[in-house]
Amino acid sequence: MAPHTGTLSPPRPAGALARLSDWSERHFKWLLVAPAVLLILALSVYPLLFSVWVSFVNYDFQIPGHAFVGLKNFSMVVFDPVARWSLVLTVLLSAANVAIEFGLGLALALAMVRTFPGRGLVMSILIVPLFISPVIVGQAWALLLQRPFGPMDYVLGKIVGHDVTISWLTQTPWLYISLILADVWQWTPFMFVILLAGLTSIPPNLYEAAELDGVDSWLAFRAITLPQLGPMILLAITFRLLDAIKLFDTIFIMTAGGPGTKTYTSSFYLYTVGFTQFHLSQATAGSWIFLIFTAAVVSLLVRRLLNTEPA
Amino acid sequence: MANATPHWRRRGSAGRLVFLGLFLLFVLIPLYWMFITSIKPSDDYLAVPPVWFPSEPTIVHYTAALFAYRGLQGLINSLVISLAATVLSALFGTMMAYSLARFGTGGKHLSFWVLSQRFLPPIAVVLPIFLIYRGIGLHDTHLGMIIAYTVFTLPVTVWMMFAYFRGLPRSMEDAALVDGCTRWQAFWRVAVPLAAPGIVAAAVFAFIACWTEFFFALILTSRTAFTLPTVFRAFLGFQGAQYGEASALAIVSLVPSILLGVLAQRHLVRGLTLGAVRG
Repeated sequence: MAPHTGTLSPPRPAGALARLSDWSERHFKWLLVAPAVLLILALSVYPLLFSVWVSFVNYDFQIPGHAFVGLKNFSMVVFDPVARWSLVLTVLLSAANVAIEFGLGLALALAMVRTFPGRGLVMSILIVPLFISPVIVGQAWALLLQRPFGPMDYVLGKIVGHDVTISWLTQTPWLYISLILADVWQWTPFMFVILLAGLTSIPPNLYEAAELDGVDSWLAFRAITLPQLGPMILLAITFRLLDAIKLFDTIFIMTAGGPGTKTYTSSFYLYTVGFTQFHLSQATAGSWIFLIFTAAVVSLLVRRLLNTEPA
Repeated sequence: MANATPHWRRRGSAGRLVFLGLFLLFVLIPLYWMFITSIKPSDDYLAVPPVWFPSEPTIVHYTAALFAYRGLQGLINSLVISLAATVLSALFGTMMAYSLARFGTGGKHLSFWVLSQRFLPPIAVVLPIFLIYRGIGLHDTHLGMIIAYTVFTLPVTVWMMFAYFRGLPRSMEDAALVDGCTRWQAFWRVAVPLAAPGIVAAAVFAFIACWTEFFFALILTSRTAFTLPTVFRAFLGFQGAQYGEASALAIVSLVPSILLGVLAQRHLVRGLTLGAVRG
């Protein structure tokens, strides 16, 4: 029996308990944040620090010791034309995706801002894509576009009056259009929902005043709607862009990066280097380069976002 | 909705309806085609012209996807992992958000730091997590996935709940403190029940994020803890033959997402409005 355990003397646990509850009461606000902060430190900050080390050694499961190789992993990425292409494609695809999704999302929000019969049902259908795994979205579009049995070419053929033989998933530029289609399908609702929330919070008296002044609709849109919607537009574009540059799932399912390396996005490139070729150190170095690019975008956008937000 | 509709919004109703109609079609067609593919006999896949509705619907693809391709196990894994991660994320996220909203803990820096986790490219963290998990035996385990998904959903949960708590008056908790409650009791018995609708909404989003996640699952699991989206790998690379199974599994996987999504619809717009407008 351990003589010092608290159970031996009855007053002590109460005292210890009281001290403990005093202590937890004093540090209440920090104890509340502790679990979340510890988890994020363990699974996000520590891995990032660990990966700094991995990117400077030759990390290999087969070879013990992990020899220090300096900047070799980084230079292998920088001088890899596939890596550079993947970065260009990531920028182009995310810019195209976000621009189209913003345009369509704004149009949808403007069309939905007024109540009409069946609005609830339309709303429910419009946001369905948000709740579907991107893998399944990729699968669904692959089914529609796959030659020769997907119905896309058949329907287009009926519309234009002659046979259409587009290989949507292997032929340039159609494969990029296919990837954009799937992304637009999935994420336009996201833009729509945020912009709709913004539109409904514009005070209606602004429009009343404009109407009294005889302002035409286009001017009212530019002078009232756009400036009032500004913070929400920034929010929607920021969130979407930060997600869009991670594009991976639909690529994995629809084109698997191919043909060749034509549809390698940065995420897909790093995945391939790390998990099909198992050059883990090179992939880690590459993910740091990618992270630095992302951080530039993030700090620009997020800081602006935080500054423009009404308190 | 406002009585005084701005005049520019009243115009072009016909164009608006056509646009909405076309967009609804755009949303529904892939879903319809996937559903139809899932109940088509295999012979109908390759038919040109396409079979718009099969004359003899079948459920063979559903049984094959669930049992032959281990979709059922993926389904169970996905449920266990997503539910556990959702509960943890909602619990820790609510605690943290309360502290941030009521005490301004850590100032703007802590809340900015939490949100910034949301913006890390998954590839940047998943590689080292993969190596660490292999080192400590968490690779391909349910626990490893639960921890990863908890962390991955925390930023959004914290921010949704942060907005919610800021919208709630603190007078009820103050009254409880005056009545002799500890801060913990005021939190658990007063603030949490008041915030219940917000917690439920945040939890729904966390669940859907876990349920649909692919990238972490692809890298952190292989033979035992694999989730439903990763089962789709099994249908790749085979010419045409597995489309029915893939579609069937997709349809199965949609059911909880869409149910929860429709249930959360009101909270979705409200939550986003609160979070964005009140900052």
